Amino acid sequence: MLEQKINDIKKQVAQAISKIKNSQELFDLEKRFLGRKSEFTDILKGLKDLSQEDRKKIGELANRTKNEIAGIILSKKQELSGAVDLGKEKIDVTLPGYRKGIGHLNPITTVQNEIMDIFTSMGFEVADGPEVETEFYNFDALNIPADHPARDMQDTFWLKQKSGEEGLVLRTHTSNVQIRYMSAHKPPFRIIAPGKTFRHEATDAKHEHTFYQFEALVVDKNISVANFKFIAKTFFEKFFGRELNIRLRPSFFPFTEPSFEFDISCAICGGKGCSTCGHSGWLEIGGAGMVNQKVFEAVGYKRNEYQGFAWGFGIPRLAMLKYKIDDNRHFHSGDLRFVKQF
Amino acid sequence: MKYSFNWLKELSGTKLLPEKAVELLTMHSMEVEGVEKTSGIPEGVVVGKILEIKKHPNADKLQLVKVDVGLSAVLPSLLTSLPITGERESKKGIIHIVCGAWNIKVGDMVPVALVGTKLPNGMEIKAAEIRGEKSFGMLCAEDELGLGEDHSGILILSKKAKIGEPVSKYLGAGDTIIEIKVLPDRAHDALSHVGVAREIAVLEGKKFSAKGGSASGGDYDFDGLRLSNKKSKMLSVKIKDKKLCPRYIGAVMTGLEVKPSPEWMQERLRVCGINAINNIVDATNYVMLELGQPLHAFDLEKITNYKLQITQPKADPPMAENKPQISKYKTQIVVRKAKDKEKVTLLDENEIDLTENDLLITNGETPLALAGIMGGKNSGIIDDTKTIVLEAASFNATNIRRTRTRLGVRSESSDRFEKDLDPNLAKKAMVRLIEILEHTAGAKLEGITDVYLSKVKPWKIKLDLDYANSLLGENISVKAVAKILASLGFKVSGNEKVKTVEVPTFRIDARTQEDLIEEIGRVWGYEKIEARPLVEAIEPAKVNEQVFFERRIKDILAGLGFDEVYNYSFYSRRDAENCGFIDIKHYELANPMNPEQELVRVNLVPNILKNVRENLKHFEKFNIFEIGRVYYPDNNKVEEKRTLAMAAVLNNDKNADAFYDIKGVLEDLLENFGVAGGRATSTMDVPRPRLAHPGRCAEITIGGENIGMIAEINPRVLAQYKIKNRVAMVELDLKKLLKVLPKEKTYQPISKFPIVSRDISMVVPSAVAYAEIKNLIEKTGGDLIKNVELFDRFEAKRSLAIRIFMSAQDRTLESTEVDAVMNKIVSKLENNLKVEVRR
Repeated sequence: MLEQKINDIKKQVAQAISKIKNSQELFDLEKRFLGRKSEFTDILKGLKDLSQEDRKKIGELANRTKNEIAGIILSKKQELSGAVDLGKEKIDVTLPGYRKGIGHLNPITTVQNEIMDIFTSMGFEVADGPEVETEFYNFDALNIPADHPARDMQDTFWLKQKSGEEGLVLRTHTSNVQIRYMSAHKPPFRIIAPGKTFRHEATDAKHEHTFYQFEALVVDKNISVANFKFIAKTFFEKFFGRELNIRLRPSFFPFTEPSFEFDISCAICGGKGCSTCGHSGWLEIGGAGMVNQKVFEAVGYKRNEYQGFAWGFGIPRLAMLKYKIDDNRHFHSGDLRFVKQF
Repeated sequence: MKYSFNWLKELSGTKLLPEKAVELLTMHSMEVEGVEKTSGIPEGVVVGKILEIKKHPNADKLQLVKVDVGLSAVLPSLLTSLPITGERESKKGIIHIVCGAWNIKVGDMVPVALVGTKLPNGMEIKAAEIRGEKSFGMLCAEDELGLGEDHSGILILSKKAKIGEPVSKYLGAGDTIIEIKVLPDRAHDALSHVGVAREIAVLEGKKFSAKGGSASGGDYDFDGLRLSNKKSKMLSVKIKDKKLCPRYIGAVMTGLEVKPSPEWMQERLRVCGINAINNIVDATNYVMLELGQPLHAFDLEKITNYKLQITQPKADPPMAENKPQISKYKTQIVVRKAKDKEKVTLLDENEIDLTENDLLITNGETPLALAGIMGGKNSGIIDDTKTIVLEAASFNATNIRRTRTRLGVRSESSDRFEKDLDPNLAKKAMVRLIEILEHTAGAKLEGITDVYLSKVKPWKIKLDLDYANSLLGENISVKAVAKILASLGFKVSGNEKVKTVEVPTFRIDARTQEDLIEEIGRVWGYEKIEARPLVEAIEPAKVNEQVFFERRIKDILAGLGFDEVYNYSFYSRRDAENCGFIDIKHYELANPMNPEQELVRVNLVPNILKNVRENLKHFEKFNIFEIGRVYYPDNNKVEEKRTLAMAAVLNNDKNADAFYDIKGVLEDLLENFGVAGGRATSTMDVPRPRLAHPGRCAEITIGGENIGMIAEINPRVLAQYKIKNRVAMVELDLKKLLKVLPKEKTYQPISKFPIVSRDISMVVPSAVAYAEIKNLIEKTGGDLIKNVELFDRFEAKRSLAIRIFMSAQDRTLESTEVDAVMNKIVSKLENNLKVEVRR
């Protein structure tokens, strides 16, 4: 009986609420169904006269229903006050966003940053030196005296100088930084020197007269070829994010003895052979060697007091491998159709 | 240099396949740049005998040829597979061929490419019908067999060739050309077949015996040679400058016949990329390729200075009309420096001007050759040369290099001499040359003159084995080290730990302990050395502030929508003129790639403008920046400025505010580094760089230090680059900027009291700058002014709307207080700056 009554009240509320148009009507409705003089309040008041069993059963129902009614009224209240029809707010979320327009770094910058981060994490300091360099720092101190055929290994941009002035070149490698750093510091040290370098050669898809080199130099008492292999392997594995092998082949650079070319197992195919590595399984990356004692002497160290390795490679080459860029002229093209891809 | 693998095989005695030998050389000796199999003559080309030649009935230029290629036992498989008609004859091994060449006659032995054969040039022989006549093969010319360039007629084989046998049995057996990049340190020994053969033997763990093989005519011991001590009666040699020419061996050979070299020699030269000329010149080239010593041959009659003979008292005067009897004359070679402006005409017909630093081979009077670089035009071998003077000499490398660099002349000879050669090699080469010419030219040695004053002897190096292992990071045994060095020709003595190593004179490069360690390391194999971490403690790396500062700027600018470009460090003279830098001293390249890249930049903007021009072809508006260095000559010291240039390019709209666009970016950038409230002052009176729009340009100053410039690019400059859009730029000196930036940011307490804002709008006389208005407001309002913001502007009428934020640190401002301040501000603006404030 009482249960029936309670359920009827709930039905009445549900019917009435759909006709409510403003907050005044809603206020009246609330008063009518839940107010102090409402039928519902009377029921609640009469609970105390029921048997204990009925009181529990009806009490629960009454309370639950009261909460439900209050909920219905509340949501109607929110609907009326906000006057927002969320359904009508629906938008096409697939339309493009309003963009501020993010800029893009040249891939050489990005690769150079990655290289610096890896080496910094291994305790290397970033060193720096001039791009217009004297003949002495670019050549002589590196055991490449004037008239030595080794100068032919690096086609050089020379600057016009008056006779009698020291020869100036656009540095052909970042190895000038080795000399400048060593002249000012005592071992032990580990440095890297990234930077812009120049070679006097015609530009095509594979050759560029302006490029970026990267050089690492470690000097201490007992540095060995084995240490170089470790650093090289560690670096390239981090850079390419996969296990790699390092391969040294004999070579010649006047500033190192012994000297080697170093290859890494192809970062694309893992050494199985693919078009990137010319199906050899190896990528030629750069040159390295144990610092020539004559170079140590040139910076004022005693012969055989120290041992060290020096190591250099081209940053564009790594960028080309990493991003599969097929023509190194893109880097200096200033073409935003290229830059915006990175 | 290109090497013949057949030749290397013969010298080293290796049984390795070329691929395997190449792998060994690559990993232990030097870089192999290319491996190419000479195709050799295919199996299907056989010896045929011409039986009959008839005119082609339907073509004037063709003939019908019947050839016997000998059926039966020789190549049954090949022949039975041929789709031959005229079957009866084909069963006897006779085939019909239509041929266009005319140098053949009945009885000639010729190479016949049978149907189904693929020739080296890719042509496949098919049975064909040519103008109604069937043809079942092809008679081949030299070039079609891959032997050379000659296409003048069918190659005629020796009468001794056997019908039906593969032609490859007689010539063109096939070789492998190995191209090796020999670096300067090994040029003196490895630009030769003997040098590389020695490497192969060493890498196989064998002793190198350097025996010449059968193709070159018998056993030959390169290291045990003796130069004949038969002194020449006809030739005297004088060296005027022993520094520039430590050794000169001259030899006279008589009674020779100039003719083509034997086929085996021609073929080897061909494989190595050298043209065969005649048996004399070819022999000098052959020995050079074999041993590495450049050699030269003069025609004695052409170099003899007859005048000199006449003045000699005991000599018979030559009859004016008769050729002098050579044997009666003495010929002399004088090696001397050239006189200034002396001229010589080289083999390649070029007449060159000499200086007194150049070295000449003369006959005492006339130059015969530019020493070590190239022979003279009129002293060379001709067809009827009968007597020759051979030269095997040794020249100063630096001098040769200087001369050839200055003159821009290069030769196989100068390539070797300029990298230094062992004077003792000259002797070996001369003996070898004489021996070959005896075989190939029927020449007889008249005698030898050898001038060699300070003899080069083997030298010794101390080698500490502990040091060797420490540098390599390896543990190579004493025994292994000794074995490696001995196999390379070094003599090793001394105790367990410290060895004395005697270096043979042919290894000019081995001068220091480290040179020996390299030899040990590479032969041992770098691949055996295991990677080992650095054991020293890692200290935190010192941070290069400048580099990381620039990196941060790049990141911020990218965040603000700027794309990074890289440019060359050069531009043209025209660029410097266009942008108004021509009066600034520039470095100039002595050897620019082209005139567009003649000057070394003192500013980044010219190249940026080119970027703008090019990108406008693809984009309406964009922002770019470059961080790079500019270079100023400064009292012969180079000043390199680390510079940022950025450019904002807006739509092609006359009213576009490019300046404010980039100024906003600059302010955002600087705010990130803790510089707020940037100020710019601008007067038209100050001279502006030509690059800048005179009315839209300002210096950028922080803490009194000028760190750069902001401007719109002068439209006249833009016109030079055909840019119609407005372009604004900022240029910053990054080293200076880093210096003036606040090191740390300091927290300002956030006011607990509300901030009141008031707006005023005004019309401003054109002479009054916004900065003045802002200044005045801040000054008038004092500490209460928290911020002054421009929120609206109409540039045309100079109408500005400004919002002023006020607050006190210790109380809530009363509105009367705010009003009072505002009134004061308004009246000051009106009175002091003649601003018309709207109420």
